[in-house]
Amino acid sequence: MTVAARGSSARARPATATTVAVLAAAAAFLLADVLVGFLAAPTDASTLGFTQKIFYVHAPIAETALLAYAVAFVAALLFLRRDDPRYDRLGLAAVRLGLLFSVLVMVSGVIWGRAAWGVWWAWEPRLTTFLIACLLYAGYFVLRGAVDDESRRATFAALYAIVAFVDVPITFFATRLLPAGLHPVVLGPSGSGMAWRDLVAFLCGTAGMTLLFVGLLRIEMGIEALREGLRDLADRLEG
Amino acid sequence: MVRKDLLLEMRTRETVAAMFLFVVLAMVVFHYAFTAGGRGAPALYTGGMLWVVFVFGALLGLGRSFAHEKDEGCLDGLLLCPVDRVTIFLSKMTANLVFLGLIQVLAVPVFALFFAPGRIVAHLPALVLLIALGDVGISALGTLLATIAMHTRARDLILPIVFLPLVVPLLIAAATGTSGLLSGAPGGPSLLGRAAFLLVYDGVFLVLAYGTYDVAIGE
Repeated sequence: MTVAARGSSARARPATATTVAVLAAAAAFLLADVLVGFLAAPTDASTLGFTQKIFYVHAPIAETALLAYAVAFVAALLFLRRDDPRYDRLGLAAVRLGLLFSVLVMVSGVIWGRAAWGVWWAWEPRLTTFLIACLLYAGYFVLRGAVDDESRRATFAALYAIVAFVDVPITFFATRLLPAGLHPVVLGPSGSGMAWRDLVAFLCGTAGMTLLFVGLLRIEMGIEALREGLRDLADRLEG
Repeated sequence: MVRKDLLLEMRTRETVAAMFLFVVLAMVVFHYAFTAGGRGAPALYTGGMLWVVFVFGALLGLGRSFAHEKDEGCLDGLLLCPVDRVTIFLSKMTANLVFLGLIQVLAVPVFALFFAPGRIVAHLPALVLLIALGDVGISALGTLLATIAMHTRARDLILPIVFLPLVVPLLIAAATGTSGLLSGAPGGPSLLGRAAFLLVYDGVFLVLAYGTYDVAIGE
């Protein structure tokens, strides 16, 4: 995996071996997800048919995105409490990955929506929620970019991560308030009881995506730490 | 704290005037945008229009509310005052709430005249309730974010970018509630549901602002 190769370039960090192991496990689980999902799990009996397979990728990504935001939220709380720059790095890395996974959810969701509902976009609660989450967390980076002072940047970013995380579930409820009938009612396959092979594929996907997230998070944090070290060195050189 | 509020109000005749002008202008533009087909604006859209106008109008006021403090160096004096940071938040929020309420008192009759004369009068109490609940949320969230944006470069740019996505849930509830009210579609319970949602939203962000304001305003 190219990702693993990039991870090893953050050399001389003790976490590297662990990171590679985590990413290898992620790759194994994701491979199992694809294999079981496409070869073993029965093709969906409903009108979805083969297009239902995207579920094994789509849903785990969505869960991982939410997990990333939750990690950012906890990191923000810890940062405000302990004032340790490590938690700022963790928050930044988690939001960055959360945004990445959210965009992937949107992309896979739009593709699936086209296949399942016949339209590229529907104002369906979950889709809308993720769209707004994307906008919200994109604002996180704009905010960070606009604050020069380092400690202040970290503080505001933490505050914003807290506010944004509280907003996501609220948005979910708000979109539920939309008049019914404007959007198609979507039943996730999880709601209708999965066959065990579906479940295996889904769980493998979830485990794989979560491990991928953890691995990438470690790499991101390593990069941020290196970047910070570099900045310190540059400062010291200047005087 | 109260004195500061009054001072601000006196000082910001310009802000309220600008907000009001913006609101009326926006309504005129909306009228032409939505009636391009030759028919009047459908009642279903009016709730959304009203709230878009309110939120952007509020944004104008929020952007100004800390600009004075920062530009004229009043912030340090404010922070040196022997008052709780939360008091500063509450007074700022109250000031923003008053401005917003003021332009709404002026703007809603104009809106009624332009778009839905009969319905607004008939549903005035419910509409006032929705607007009041929405305003508290907008002011609480807006004041918290305006405080953060104050310390950033290009604060006029940052505030809308962080404020608008966060205010979307409130906007959804308030706009669908208002549209339902004005088009006469949903009954009482769904309006109550929206009002309850707004109440929860207000509560969440008041508590959040209360908990984080000393960090937000800085040392």
